[in-house]
Amino acid sequence: MAGTLIAPATEDRRPTADSPHGQAAGVDLSFVDQAVERLGRRADAIIPILQSIQQHYRYLPQEALERVCQLTEITPAAITGVSTFYTQFRHRPVGKHLISVCHGTACHVKGTELVQDALEHHLGIHKGEDTDADGFFTIQKVACLGCCTLAPVIQIDELTYGRLTPSMVPDVLRDFLDHEANGAAKHEHRAVSPSGPLGEIRVGLGSCCVAQGSGKVRDAISETLAATGAPAVVKRVGCVGMCHQTPLVEIVPASGPARLYSRVTPDAAPSIVLENFRPKGLLRQLAYYATRMLDRLHSDETGDPVERHALNVRDAQVCAFLGRQQHLATQYCGQFDPTDLKEYQAHGGFEALRRCLAEFTPERIIQEIRASGLRGRGGAGFPTGQKWDAVRAAAGPTKYVICNGDEGDPGAFMDRMILESFPYRIIEGMAIAAMAIGAGEGYFYIRAEYPLAVQRITEAIGRCREEGLLGDRVMGTDFRLNLSVKEGAGAFVCGEETALLASIEGQRGMPRLRPPYPAESGLRGKPTLVNNVETYALVPWILRHGSQAFAAFGTERSRGTKVFALAGKIRRGGLIEVPMGVTVREIIEEIGGGVAGGKQFKAVQVGGPSGGCVPAELADTRVDYEALTEVGAIMGSGGLVVLDDSDCMVDIARYFLRFTQDQSCGKCTFCRIGTRRMLDIMDRICSGGGKRGDLEELEELAHTVGSASICGLGRTAPNPVLSTLRYFRDEYEAHLAGRCPAGKCKDLIEYRINEKCIGCTICAQRCPADAIPMTPYARHAIDLEKCTRCDTCRQVCPAGAVMIQ
Amino acid sequence: MPTLTIDQREVTVPAGATILEAAERLGIEIPTLCFLRGYEPSTSCLVCMVKLRGRNGFVPACATRVADGMQVESETAEVHQVRRTALELLLSDHVGDCLAPCHFACPAHMDIPLMLRQISAENYAEAIVTVKRDIALPAVLGRVCPKPCEKGCRRNAADGAVAVCQLKRFVADLDLASQRPFLPECRPDTGKRVAIVGAGPTGLSAAYYLRQKGHAVTVFEAQECAGGRLLREVGEEELPRDVLDAEIGLILAIGVELNPSSRVEDRQTLDDLRNDFDAVLLACGAVDKSTVESWGLRATPRGVQIDKDTYQTSVSGVFAAGNAIRGKGLVVRSVADGKEAAAAVDTFLAGRPASAHERAFSVRIGRLEDGEIDQFLAMAGSAPRREPLQGLAGGFLSEEAVEQASRCLHCDCRALGNCKLRRYGSQYGADPNRFRGERAAVRQYADHPLVVYEPGKCIDCGLCIQIATRHGEPLGLTFVGRGFDVRIGVPFNRSLEEALGKAAAECVAACPTAALALKKERLRSELPILGQR
Repeated sequence: MAGTLIAPATEDRRPTADSPHGQAAGVDLSFVDQAVERLGRRADAIIPILQSIQQHYRYLPQEALERVCQLTEITPAAITGVSTFYTQFRHRPVGKHLISVCHGTACHVKGTELVQDALEHHLGIHKGEDTDADGFFTIQKVACLGCCTLAPVIQIDELTYGRLTPSMVPDVLRDFLDHEANGAAKHEHRAVSPSGPLGEIRVGLGSCCVAQGSGKVRDAISETLAATGAPAVVKRVGCVGMCHQTPLVEIVPASGPARLYSRVTPDAAPSIVLENFRPKGLLRQLAYYATRMLDRLHSDETGDPVERHALNVRDAQVCAFLGRQQHLATQYCGQFDPTDLKEYQAHGGFEALRRCLAEFTPERIIQEIRASGLRGRGGAGFPTGQKWDAVRAAAGPTKYVICNGDEGDPGAFMDRMILESFPYRIIEGMAIAAMAIGAGEGYFYIRAEYPLAVQRITEAIGRCREEGLLGDRVMGTDFRLNLSVKEGAGAFVCGEETALLASIEGQRGMPRLRPPYPAESGLRGKPTLVNNVETYALVPWILRHGSQAFAAFGTERSRGTKVFALAGKIRRGGLIEVPMGVTVREIIEEIGGGVAGGKQFKAVQVGGPSGGCVPAELADTRVDYEALTEVGAIMGSGGLVVLDDSDCMVDIARYFLRFTQDQSCGKCTFCRIGTRRMLDIMDRICSGGGKRGDLEELEELAHTVGSASICGLGRTAPNPVLSTLRYFRDEYEAHLAGRCPAGKCKDLIEYRINEKCIGCTICAQRCPADAIPMTPYARHAIDLEKCTRCDTCRQVCPAGAVMIQ
Repeated sequence: MPTLTIDQREVTVPAGATILEAAERLGIEIPTLCFLRGYEPSTSCLVCMVKLRGRNGFVPACATRVADGMQVESETAEVHQVRRTALELLLSDHVGDCLAPCHFACPAHMDIPLMLRQISAENYAEAIVTVKRDIALPAVLGRVCPKPCEKGCRRNAADGAVAVCQLKRFVADLDLASQRPFLPECRPDTGKRVAIVGAGPTGLSAAYYLRQKGHAVTVFEAQECAGGRLLREVGEEELPRDVLDAEIGLILAIGVELNPSSRVEDRQTLDDLRNDFDAVLLACGAVDKSTVESWGLRATPRGVQIDKDTYQTSVSGVFAAGNAIRGKGLVVRSVADGKEAAAAVDTFLAGRPASAHERAFSVRIGRLEDGEIDQFLAMAGSAPRREPLQGLAGGFLSEEAVEQASRCLHCDCRALGNCKLRRYGSQYGADPNRFRGERAAVRQYADHPLVVYEPGKCIDCGLCIQIATRHGEPLGLTFVGRGFDVRIGVPFNRSLEEALGKAAAECVAACPTAALALKKERLRSELPILGQR
């Protein structure tokens, strides 16, 4: 499951009165001994050991940590430093159930703060605490669950709830507890034996699809197939990118056109199967329908759920969504079983590596990459060929190749999708890079919030090793390459390459001054190539089709394609891959179908916390590294969050600043304290306490932090503030005058009920703060002292009588 | 060997050298807090920023290696602004008082905590030096002062202020009663002559400090003997004449000339003084407007009009201080005025440009939150505030003085004189209040036998971590947490004593602030810092 920070419980540990800090008396430490045995005693085993301990105990008991120090080379200072650096690690036991509240960008603009307030209110969790009095629920904020199109999203243990409002919170908790009480019934599946020509039923099983229930859909389909013997196989495929339509099921018959079903529920699954595949034998068919009928009589289901969800692949909407796209990094998206090596190979997979090994010199490979114009897709856009050249030229026999899969921007999930859907493509890209630079060893660094990606990559590496595509003699040649996976532990800053290297070495993820660059002195002091997931994923395509074919896409300085996560106030959100050079407007209007809900398009935030916004009047800006930088945004890793006129730009800027401020490693003054002081000013402005001169002070400090911080995190952290100051200064000034034009900043707004009120009492019934007295058939009034500005009344009012002032 | 320029000055250094090392060769002082030779640069404080021509942004001089042809900018307004901002950010998260609240409450800004520590160490000879650095008439003030310092004392909020005034009197009385009372050293004669009009608290104080600067000082007094309003306004019961005379005697003893029975009658007398002397200081006590104007000077409703930074009147070379400018004020205010005016006159005589009277640089905690005072009380003497056994008129006995002085909470900083943050903050004109944020709690850990750890003063440079590691401390220190909340801590919440065995002294020496400081220290004055006064 995406975003699960803590693995499932193995036992129930709650804080008790006699051990308030969770130092449960007499922790059984034999597990620690086993973990150390398994993971090694070297200092760089520290993060895996801590992860293993936490998975077992659900937190890090101090006794366990002390035991680790006795058994290994890890010092008390190191274990304390590392375990308090990464947010994944908990030093206190968690409640029985963990509620992860997503604070990604899309969730933020869709009101996740209000949902969190409602959760805390409902569970009676006070400020500064995270667990309810009974130790039943622990609430934690997570940076992004990557289900941006379902925003706002929370996850309770392994169940995901999307599109929430504060008023839904009691129902959600009740639903969860019911589900718990019933015990999630696990279905037994029987494999369908393939005989004769079979159709395929492709079910998207990317993290967001799973979050939206595609696992259950697959179960239901398998069950139907097993029960009816319909001639088809279920195939799990990677992300299709159409997240706004998940769960997606594609029916690919043995012959004839494919059909796509969107927003499929488990209940609809049997109908979809039976509509497309005729079961063997009339008797089974009849028997099946009979039982289904009985089932329906006993439940409240009405109507046929299938019709609503049928989508034709040639449907205009789908065409518009897919039309402008060019799938290179995401080639064959939604068609492959991600871990099926044979299928990858059947579609040209490892062809590029084979050619490189057989025909190309390292120089030739680098020349090809240079000629393609490929630039780093992690955000900064450094020419990839030049980087490879630098590592190749660096002295020394030992070199490393590293895939940076620490995608951490809230609102971005491109890399996760590529890791989950195309593991072999990235491995092939890395192998080509390794050959070009002369590396024999490499690592995937993948953030811990992406367990499915970790699992798929690990599985794919294992398959490659079995097939001789990795190992001591790659494809029977002298080329040697061993890859392994290192999991992050919850630190956005580890996306910065020097911090990433420190983290792999088992240290606190603190960036260091560059130069020296990793190309010269990287992992363990050796020359190291660090590229982003998408960059590697493009490499096989370039070598298969030639640099010119790649360079044909895009603009003069930005060649090829770019994957974006499109979310926010947009009709069709999802993952898209477009040629460089398309305009922001084309992405939003053609692919995304424009702004949802009849609102006005205001701006699009590009590049997440390091980026900036492109206002509506600049929507014709092209997707191009330089063009985006010119308008004050950056390409970044590729998050696009669309904002409409109900979004407060000051609040958006503060949201990103709060994120980077929270993720600062704390090393250098400008980032550690500077971003905090910027945030202090932003908080002041948003709460109505802004003073004259605040904007100038904010701007000056932003420029200094941006020009004097040590690493990219600090240097880019002021961008969201600077860019909104540039285009939306009037909104800042309105806040100084005590007004939030978009009606978002809680301290600057009041809720009132106007004369349209019909006295229906729904608002009074639903108000969680009891701020609306019950006055049936009379106009209601809100007690502003009690009102928490949770927006529930406005949402539930059938007469539209609740106003924000 | 690469050649580079710093501020257009060429220098050649060995390959691999840092910009900081190159700057040292040129005698350019680039400030550093977190850097210590022999240890890895942590590039944390970023006070050492410089700019490289042709590159965006700034780089830390401590860790940036030189390259041939590099053009570095160090002493430019742009670079200084970045350094100042770094200092201001660090100061905004720096919880402590450089100088104690009593220092600010005392109009004469006497170094009260130092005096108290000297008394509790029974080091009375140095205590009188400390007192007389700022107060020329301590035995007098010890009897007549309304004690604003004690109102500012932190301990007021607990079990009563430290008896600062009585203790100062104790030191002064002891000195007066000794065989060889303290006489300060005077600088060699400058050849400059100063006339002081009035031998009251202002004039006497000014005479005392001007004489020490090496100037010839003559005090003109209208009455037959010196003392001014101390003779008129204070009863002999409160201030015995022999105490006053003895203290005046010590001022005259360093070579101050007293001309009694000589009054400044009119403009002519003043002009004569201006002709005969290099500078004139009017310390005549309260005067009315018409008298001031008759002297040819501009007046205010309270007295003589002056520039309040320089004590200069409207006529060049003529200064005024004390009640002559205020009309009415505390004796301690007059004593303070005399000292400050003396400094202004000295600046004038030396031909240095008149400058604003500089305030000592200090970060201030402000009001303590509930319970925070316990941190201070834990390390101070536990005796209650007591009046002298032999009555107020009698003063403290030695044992009483020691007990009472040790009640001091040591609010002033343990690293006052060697805090680099304060030094550079002052040098770069940093405003500690520019980025006011939520203040962190005041904490003082005193479990270590030698060292006090104050996390609020830590700038997270990590030098102590490196030092403890190099000493092979089995437990050592580490960063705990990350981001804004990161702090230096002991693994597994064990004690500082366990963490720092051998490394403690070196950590204290390396600490750029007073986050790690020796418990016992500063028995010598570290004031002033950087041109204060």
